[in-house]
Parts: sequence; structure tokens; C-alpha cells
Amino acid sequence: MKIYALFLISGLAVGSLYALGGIGLVVLRRATGFLNFAYGAIAAASAMICWQFIDWGFAGPVSWLMSILTGVALSVFFGRFFASGLAWREPVVKAVATLGFALIILGLISFIWDDAARKLVLPTDKIGFRLMEVRITVTRVIAFGASLLIALGMILYLEKTKTGLLMRALANNRAHSALIGIPILRVETIAWALSGALAGFTGMMFGDLVRLDPTIITFMVIPAIAAAICGRLESLFLTFIGGLSIGVAEAMLTLVKTAAPFRSLVPFVVAVLVILWMQRKQRLVFQTED
Amino acid sequence: MILHLRRESRMYATFGFVAICILVLPLIIDSIWVKVLTSAAIFTLAAYGVSLLYSHLGLVNLSQVALVGAGGWIMLRLNYAADFPFEVNLLISAVITAFIGMVLALPAIRMKGLYLALITLMIAGGFQIILSAIQFPNGGSGFFGVALQSPGEMRRPVIAESDTAYLRYSIVIVVFGIMLAAAHKFSRPGRAWAMIRKSEANAMAAGVNVTFYKLWCFTLSGFLAGTAGGLLAGALKILDAKSFPAGESILLFALAIVGGVGHWMGAVIAGFLYRVLPAIFNNIGIDADLSLVIFGAALLHAIMTAPNGIAGQISTLFQAWGRQNK
Amino acid sequence: MFMRYMGLALMLAMGFISYSEEAKAAEPECGLNTGEKATGEPIVVGGINGNAPPGDFSGGTDAAAAYFHCVNDNGGINGRPIKYIVENDQWNPELAAQVATKLVKDDGVVALVGNGSVVSMAVNAKLYKDEDVMAMASACAISDCYENSNIVSSNQGPLPSGIGALKFAVEELGTEHAACIGFNIPNNGGWACDWAGKYMESVGKKSTALLMDPSAVDLNSVYLQALAEGVDTIMLMLPAGPALGILKVAEEQDGGDTFKWISPTPLYDPTIPAALGDYWDNKLYVNIELGPFNSDGPDNQNWIAVMDKYGEKEDRRDTFSQSGYLSAKFFVETLLKMDSAEINRTNVTKAIKGISGLTSDLLCGPYYVGDFDRHMPNHAGRMVVYSENEFKVVRDCYDIDSSYLEPIREQERQLRLIQ
Repeated sequence: MKIYALFLISGLAVGSLYALGGIGLVVLRRATGFLNFAYGAIAAASAMICWQFIDWGFAGPVSWLMSILTGVALSVFFGRFFASGLAWREPVVKAVATLGFALIILGLISFIWDDAARKLVLPTDKIGFRLMEVRITVTRVIAFGASLLIALGMILYLEKTKTGLLMRALANNRAHSALIGIPILRVETIAWALSGALAGFTGMMFGDLVRLDPTIITFMVIPAIAAAICGRLESLFLTFIGGLSIGVAEAMLTLVKTAAPFRSLVPFVVAVLVILWMQRKQRLVFQTED
Repeated sequence: MILHLRRESRMYATFGFVAICILVLPLIIDSIWVKVLTSAAIFTLAAYGVSLLYSHLGLVNLSQVALVGAGGWIMLRLNYAADFPFEVNLLISAVITAFIGMVLALPAIRMKGLYLALITLMIAGGFQIILSAIQFPNGGSGFFGVALQSPGEMRRPVIAESDTAYLRYSIVIVVFGIMLAAAHKFSRPGRAWAMIRKSEANAMAAGVNVTFYKLWCFTLSGFLAGTAGGLLAGALKILDAKSFPAGESILLFALAIVGGVGHWMGAVIAGFLYRVLPAIFNNIGIDADLSLVIFGAALLHAIMTAPNGIAGQISTLFQAWGRQNK
Repeated sequence: MFMRYMGLALMLAMGFISYSEEAKAAEPECGLNTGEKATGEPIVVGGINGNAPPGDFSGGTDAAAAYFHCVNDNGGINGRPIKYIVENDQWNPELAAQVATKLVKDDGVVALVGNGSVVSMAVNAKLYKDEDVMAMASACAISDCYENSNIVSSNQGPLPSGIGALKFAVEELGTEHAACIGFNIPNNGGWACDWAGKYMESVGKKSTALLMDPSAVDLNSVYLQALAEGVDTIMLMLPAGPALGILKVAEEQDGGDTFKWISPTPLYDPTIPAALGDYWDNKLYVNIELGPFNSDGPDNQNWIAVMDKYGEKEDRRDTFSQSGYLSAKFFVETLLKMDSAEINRTNVTKAIKGISGLTSDLLCGPYYVGDFDRHMPNHAGRMVVYSENEFKVVRDCYDIDSSYLEPIREQERQLRLIQ
């Protein structure tokens, strides 16, 4: 029994990271129409900055703050200088543009930090408690709790606040929103900043819980997109559930010996199945927007 | 008349370029550049497949390098399993990869835009895991053919055993591959693609079998990827599961856009950027990671201001130059 | 890279303060030891390392570079300096083939020394044979390194080192069932774990190979897999980085006492104690392929002196570094016996194949090459335990028992190194 609990907890930890990533992607996508492929690269930059500040001997909270700020800064930079020029293009072109940004960030990270083996240790790693004989560190609790709270918070934010309303308006029709005087630039910048902060946090957690490797964190965006696809790139709640289920399924498959080497396929298989399900009634390509 | 002349001179320029690549280049460059250019030529072919899908149908394919890996896998498997000549193995690899490309495109065929791009990305991610789990054949027994020891001998074509000869051989195959694909433009599929690109609804109304021609384009792109994979297996003799991650597929797509889609020169530029530029950086002691920064910036530039890529800009330059000299 | 330079600048600034102390360190002894700079026509030597995630194997070439630098400052090869060109294959087979071609064909190296990489040897073994050039490697980790005529490595590689660790675990720690966690690279983890399994079978114990994708994201589940298998010992057949990652996961789950932890040489690295911390005190046993870092042996002391004086500050000082020093030293000794005018690839290859019976305090047995189709001169090692922030030797030189070594022992008999 203990072994199942262990795999469940391990899966929930990875799953909540996928979910966090997915939520950050969906929030941005809803407000600005951008599916941000650079999300993982921003997370990687944030994780490396966090490591660097700790390595320089700064206090923990300073390093964490710098990490989140890095996420916000990178995200807003793209939002202000590039995204606005692409606002009227098709979604796929927007997404491809973020690929360019991802390559730039990844190239810079690899240039600045050589390939030494590093590990990111947060003080919460050392504190833990036992549940059913399984030791759970506070970091894992934070990652899981944060993704739950952030998912809830974001849903409430988009539903209840004025900015949330404006974001939804923008997502529905950008031209009309501009016409009725919604401060597009400001609302979009807030969305980029929010998503950047989430990326920074995800990167830090990923670097601590999974592995501190810029390339791996950069391409973590792929399973995060899979989680977002589970929510049709729209629903925060379904994204959250999707991310967690993918993580748990992936971990549990380790126990099935023949499937174990293929268990990382889970996010991709799930995403493809969801896309097929979504298109099940569609006969003609030009039925939908994208 | 002028138009005619220009087309003719462009044809001569093309032939000249190919002739220089085949005849002169292998003689004057160092052996390292023979290897680098072989890879560049091979990925030119793969990039042309990406470029076909994007320019003709506006479809984003983020799984091309994964398919190159599939082609390479089949090539190695055939090499150790049977004594067929290299060319036969290459053709079989290309055909099977084309088939895989088609099958994978099936679920994507009703999608366009973002979701299609995402599905190809998921496929690329999946291939990465599968290749890593089953590994590339290295002369072992069984279906997967993986032995826990040094790899066996991957044969090259009889006429191209040496690196230099193999470079020439690859360029010839790549030229044939591109000609085959380019020929589509001026025939029935090309016209169908053009209509689909303009409006799928209209194409359908005009009796074009949209599903068929879209699948055809994916199949063709897969064929080119498979050929590239087979050639790569011959060039390197062993392949490694780490070489075909989703990130590389993304990069090749980015470079196809940067090079310029819809023109063979764009694919050549993409192949050059993909393999030669990092090698130049390595050679002169600049961190090759910086090439990623350049690629990223070039992609943003291409997306925002230069939709025809570098090839487009060069040809605009030539046109301007031609007008001045009139 | 940038950070490295920043670090370097800091180090330089601090260097002024500690300069007087460093001057007291022992003077290195290299080659002819004349103290005069070599000025003749350079002898071109190459080296290939693999330094990119998931592992850094640059220790061997770094140490070889330092030793050659020292030789050049001390009379060179009878007056001729060594021009040492190092390339990084970045764990990429395509790049590995390119840089090897460059060194062997374009730069015309007389030999390769200090090589350390996981992919390069597999890709290039045939090139070395065809071009008749010898590679005196130092940080090898794959079968190709030990099963080819033109490659000889002074490190053991995962197979002997892993079996050495298992032998210790079976005899001293009471291991009944060991998990071998390695990369699913057929000629690396697959090969080494397979032979480790054969060894366990030969002594009537069980073993399970857990092979993981080198780019695997979730090390946690690798650890959990071992837990699910019900093993009592975990062997980390991995480079230092991923091995550390698994230890971190184990620490989080308080798995230090659940399993006995053993590892081949990569974890024997002076930077590891800082990364491990107190938790692992007396819990982690590592097989070392060369001498202990703090040994008083002349070669170990000279290695430290060479690295202090000629090494770069950021050079790794691990087993691979010792191994690179050793390869370079044996190489230089071989060249010094040749007529310096007749140093060309053919003669150098012949001379290297003629090496037999060299000794060093870093090695447990003799070093030899010989004209054979495979080479593994180093297969006896020592065992250390991590304790109080350092590694302590718990078993001195012992050889392994594996049928893999049968052809190797036959070579040693032919060269009259053993009875």
C-alpha cells in the first residue's frame, strides 16, 4: 500500500507542476490570444536566477523574489514589445512568434550558465511530515497547494474582478473591446505579468522538485500544453484536473513493468485524445476559428 | 520576354549552385566541413518538407525531426536485417516514413492552425519517448535489434564509401527529392493546394478532395523526412535517441520559416543555419548556444516583418538589382 | 561561460592574497623536467571530451592539457612542444564525428590523449582504426572504449568499477538483491548493468537493471521503481549530476537506511561532499578507479602540483582528472623514448601499442597497451565511504571477478604481466 501512496504523491507533485504550467498558459491565452511556447524558457530563466542568487549567498526570500520578478520581466517584455505588433495575426502565427522568444531565452541561459550539475534547494525541502509512512516535504505541499489555490484564485479573478471582466471581453473580441474604450494595453500587460509570475514560480518549483536543467525546464512547456489542452485552452478548472491526472497516471504506470519505459507518453497521448474528442462532431475544417 | 529571360537565368543560377556544391565544394573544404555540409544537405531536405506544408497549406509541422528519426530507425533496422543495396533501403525507409507521416496526419486532417500545430508537437514529444525507450538498432538480434555492445557496420552506398563521395551522393539525392516535391507545384496537387490555401470551402465546392490532397502533402513531407533520416543514418553510421527531441523539430520549423518557405533556396538556408552556423561558431570559439539567440531573433523578425524569409529578401534584392540594370 | 569569467576574476583577485601560500606548494615534475621552454616544431595531439547535460567528462582533457603545458615548460619532447587541441562533442554523435574528423584528418594529430565522452568513442572507433591513430582515453564510459584495437583508457569505466562496488557490497554489506540504475544507452548503462547482473548471478545473488532515459525528467519515479522492486541495494551507474539527483530524492524520502547505496567512480569527486551533506554520513560507498585524492603517492602528489600550477581554476579535479594526468604522463614517457625527428602518427601508434608494464601509485595494477583488439588495463580498484565530509578508504586495491575479463587476462599472460 505504501508504494501506491508514494507513487500517488510523486505523481501529484509532478502533476501540480504541469497544472501550474497549464494554468499560466491558459490565463495568458484567454486574455491575449497567445499560446506562449516561451513559458518553459521563462520558467527556466527564473529557476536559474533563483539558483544564482542563492549561490551568490543572498537570503532565500530575496532569491525567490528575484526569480518571480525575472518571470514577470521576461513575460512583460515580450508582451509589450512583440505581442502588440502581432495582435491581429492568427493564433498559430502568434504561437510561432513565442517560439522565437523561447529560442532567444534558451540560447542566453545556455550561454550564461555552463552545463554544470546544479541543484536548487529550498529550505522547505528539509521540513516534512509523515503521512501513511510516506514522508512529504513542505515543498511538495506548497507546489500542490499553490496550484490548487492559484487555479481557484484565477477562476475567481477572471469571474469577479473588473480586470478579469475586461480580460474576458478582450478574449471575446479585441476590436470591439478597443472600440468601447477598454485600456487594452494595460489589461494585456497585467495578463502577461500574471502569467510571467506563474512561470517564475513553476520554474522554481520544477528546479527544486524535479531537476534544475534549463533545457528540461524549457521543454516542460510541452506537457504543460498537454494539460492546457485538457482544458481546451480555456477552462482553468479542467486544466488543473488534466495536469494532476497526467502526473498521477505517469507516476502510476511506473508500476507496470512493460509500460514503464513509455510512461512519459501519457501527456501526449492524453492531449491527442482530448483534441480528437473535441473535434468529434466537426466535419469541415472551416467550421471553427482555429 | 524579360520575364522569360529572368526565369532562364534563374534556372542557370540554380544549376550553377548545384554544380558548385557537387563538384567544387567537396574538393576544397577540410574534412570536418565535408561532414558538416553532409548534415546540412540532409536537413535541407527535411526542412523542405516543413516548408511545403507551411507554404502550400499554411500548416505548422512541429514533428519533422521526429520523422527524420523514424526514417533513420527504419534505415538502420533494414541495414542489419537484410543485404539490400543502400538505395533500396533508403527508398523503403522513405516510403514507410511517408506512410507514418500520413497515418499521423489522419487525426489532424480536420484541424488547422493552432490545434494542428499542437498535435504535431505532441507527436514529436511522443516520438522522443518512444525512440528513447526502444533505442536505435545497432546490429543486435530481435525486432528492435539493440545489442549491448559496440554497434555493427552500417553500410554506405557502394559508390559513396568515403565522406567526400557521400557528400556528393547526399546532395544528388537531396536535389532529386526537392525536384520531386517542387514538381508537385506545377501539377494537379499543386493547384489543389493553392485552392485549399485560398479557401477550403471554395476548394471543396469546386470538387477538390480536400482531405486527400492535404494527406498527400503530409505524405510527401514525410517521404522527404524519411529520405533525410536514411541519409543521416548512412552519414553517421549510428544514431542516438537523444538526437531527435521535440526541441529539434521546433528548431527546424523555426529555421524553415527564417530561411523562407515555398522556395528551395529557403530550405537550403535553413539547412545551412541548422548545421553550418553552429559548426562555424564552434570552430572560431564562440559559444554555439548563441546561434539559438540568433535563430530566435531571426524567427521573430521573419514573423513580424519578413514573411518570405531570407530567401525572399535575397530574391527581392535581386529583383531590385535587375530593375536598376534594365 | 560568462559566469565562469566572473568567477575567474574573483579568483584572480583572491589569488593575490593567497599567492605566497601557493608558491610553497610542491613544484610539479613533468617530462624532462629541465625548466626550459620547448621551442621546436610542435607535436600536434588531440583530445575529445563530452561536456553537456547530463554529464561533464572534461576532467581528463583538462588534466592532460595541464600536464602538457607543464611538459612544454620543461623541455617538451626533447625540445619539441606539444600542441594540444581539445574539442567538446556536447554528447552529440553528429558533433562527435565532426570534431574527430577535424582532429584526425584536418589537424593531423599524432594521437588522441585524455578523451572522455559517452558518445564519441562509439561514433569514432572505426575512424581511429582506419586512420591508424591511437586514443589514450581517460574518462571512458562505454563498451566501445574497451573493445577496440585503437582505444585504450586509463580509467576503468562503469563495468569493472560497478562490479567492484557490487563485490564490496556483497562481501561487506550483505547485499542480496541490487538495483543497477543506469542510462538506457545500450553500450553504456545497458552494457554495464548487464555484466553487473551476470556477476551477481555468479555469486548467487539477484539484481535488477533499472534503465532510465538520460533526459528523463522525473528522477523521483526512478527511485520509487527501485523501491517497488524490493531491492536492498541501489547502485548508481550514472554520471555525478543525475546520481546526485537520485540521492536528493532518496534523502527526501529518508531512504538512506532503507537501502545500501553504492556507486562506481563518478561520485568520487571533491565537490560531491559539499552537495551531499551530513545525511549521507557512512551511507554511501563508492568504488574508485584510481588513487585516493589525498594519497601521498608520488604520482598523486605530482597530479595535484601540476593541476595547482598549470590547471585552470574551474577544472574538475575528479577521478577523470587523475586519469587524464596518467594518460598524458604515459604518453609523454613513450614519446620521450622516441627519436624526436621520427615522431609521426605511424610511429607513435606503434610506440603506444608497445607500452607494457608501466606502473603508478594511482593504479592498482600495471598499465599496458599491446597490439590487441581490445584493451582494459585498469580493472582493480579501491572502495571508499563518504564520512564526515570526505571520502575514506575502506578497502584497498582489489581486483574483480568477471568472465568479461577473460580475454584481458589472456593479454596480461601474453605480456607476462601475470602468471
